[in-house]
Amino acid sequence: MEAIQLEHVAKVYHIGAVETKALNDVNLSIAEGEFTALVGPSGSGKTTLLQLIGCLDKPDRGTVSIQGQDVTRLSANQRADLRRERIGFIFQFFALVPVLTAYENVELPLLLSGVKPKERRERVMGLLEAVGVSHRANHRPDQMSGGEQQRVAIARALAPRPVLVLADEPTANLDTANGQQAIEIMRRLNEETGTAFVYATHDPRVVAFAQRVVKMRDGSIVDNGANA
Amino acid sequence: MPLNKLWTLAYRDLGRNRRRSILTLLAVALGLALLMLMNGYIAGVMEDTLQNSIRLRTGHVQIRASSYEEEKLSLQAKDLLANPDELTARASALSEVKAAAPVLWASGILETLNDSAGLQIYGIDTASPMYAPIRAAMLDGAFLAPDDRNGILIGKPLADSMNVGAGQKVNLAIVNSDGRPDEGIFTIRGLFATGIPSYDQSVAFMPLSKAQAFTGTNRHASAIFILLNNQADTEKVAAALRGPDVTVLTWSDLNQVFVQAIQAGMSFYVILDFIVMLIVAVIIANTLLMSVFERIRELGILAALGMKGRNILQMVLLEAAGLGLAGIVVGIVLGSAGVAYLATAGIPIGDKIASVGGNSMALGTTLYARFVPGTFAALSLAMLLIVLLASLYPAWYAARLEPVEALRAE
Repeated sequence: MEAIQLEHVAKVYHIGAVETKALNDVNLSIAEGEFTALVGPSGSGKTTLLQLIGCLDKPDRGTVSIQGQDVTRLSANQRADLRRERIGFIFQFFALVPVLTAYENVELPLLLSGVKPKERRERVMGLLEAVGVSHRANHRPDQMSGGEQQRVAIARALAPRPVLVLADEPTANLDTANGQQAIEIMRRLNEETGTAFVYATHDPRVVAFAQRVVKMRDGSIVDNGANA
Repeated sequence: MPLNKLWTLAYRDLGRNRRRSILTLLAVALGLALLMLMNGYIAGVMEDTLQNSIRLRTGHVQIRASSYEEEKLSLQAKDLLANPDELTARASALSEVKAAAPVLWASGILETLNDSAGLQIYGIDTASPMYAPIRAAMLDGAFLAPDDRNGILIGKPLADSMNVGAGQKVNLAIVNSDGRPDEGIFTIRGLFATGIPSYDQSVAFMPLSKAQAFTGTNRHASAIFILLNNQADTEKVAAALRGPDVTVLTWSDLNQVFVQAIQAGMSFYVILDFIVMLIVAVIIANTLLMSVFERIRELGILAALGMKGRNILQMVLLEAAGLGLAGIVVGIVLGSAGVAYLATAGIPIGDKIASVGGNSMALGTTLYARFVPGTFAALSLAMLLIVLLASLYPAWYAARLEPVEALRAE
């Protein structure tokens, strides 16, 4: 089954009087469990595409479907529900909640989903161990290195057992070793959990881990990498 | 999301910019403390002044002849009570009554060789416990004996201004019940100072029987002056004493000017209270808006994780409630300390200011605050409400942020 299906998706931003076509008639489908890299120069529309897939924004034209469900017509609350249950996010700037510990950051989406305390604890500790930061469970983000923070963010993205994890430049703020480690962890968890990953990146070393590479330029997909 | 977890988030968010949180908390605390001080002080002044007036001037209840007009201090038989002893006995028989005594009022002029002053003569039952406050306020000389035929008591401030003292003789001029002027030589038996300058400067006491003889009112009295054990029984006692040919007045009738002044003063205070609360509200709204603006991207992340607007709204409201409640607790402590100080030390206002109220306002020379728990509780609740109201806009603003725009924020 397709995890994601985009048909004729277009998105235009208006900044003052200037109109910028961020996406232009994009068609893309990603199967469940796929590990996909989204590459292209800055401004090619990678972030916009991830935001539309992640139900953070709505397209101006076309449809976005998650597991066969058209999400373009959902209300803000319905989109929030869908994000909480089926989509995990990893951001370039780690994006942990600064006042919460590593444990609490990973627990947060489970609290939002109403997962029972015992199961919460098991899942959080399991994930922190899986990403190798269980010894940092009680540390706050400002007490951890960038690499550790990004690993906590990966654990948080996977906590609700989503269908899909979206990562926008997940290694851009990490040094080579930490970046490589983060992407390795993502790949391993992709194989272990069957969660699809779509990540935008510039970094050729990170692209090398992808099963499939989708190339974008000027708001269009120039190579959808389906047979790569 | 469970409320206790939201509270954890809210609580820690408050700890992020600790100095700002503490300053905001102090604004709530000082605002409430100021409100408590203002309201505690005015309540103390109002209540003390009213009680002074009741104790010294009006009593809780008075029985008068129907035709008696207070302003005229009439001494005509038709305006007086012909059977004061019987009415006094009736009042004294009521269990709610602490003391009842007849009184005869007349206006007079006190004269020395060089000076004169208008005053109100009180012919009193010197044995009545009603005058315990005057006995306690004696500074010089002695209180009146029942059979004293030429002694009077006057206030120390009046004696000082006329340059006379205890033991000295003065002339007292009156217009008697027949409307003819009369005068007599009296000895100042003693000087009292109740601490109420307007009273001490305008009252002279003499035994009732002497006053009746002096004015030619023949065993009549102007009023029966009644003090109760409990002010709340006023209406009950007044109702029990009403009858033909007599008017029964309560302390609120007798202090009407003052009671109206209290009401006018209170509405002014409500405006002051409102202004203080408005200032606190602006500070709270500003603090929360700043803290929301500072973490727009973080709120975007929470939204991306699937936190709904409702939860974000609750979180900001909880932050406000946390600040508000902590501020209120500190405010109650500070306010109570301030009220306790003003309740014991008071604020001296001096004789001149204390006299401006004249006869309708028995202001003391030092004014004290008082604990009014009901008012303080209402102010605390109102403060919490204002804090929550002020946080509605920042909370609403945070709740309706579009996640994609919030994530784009720097």
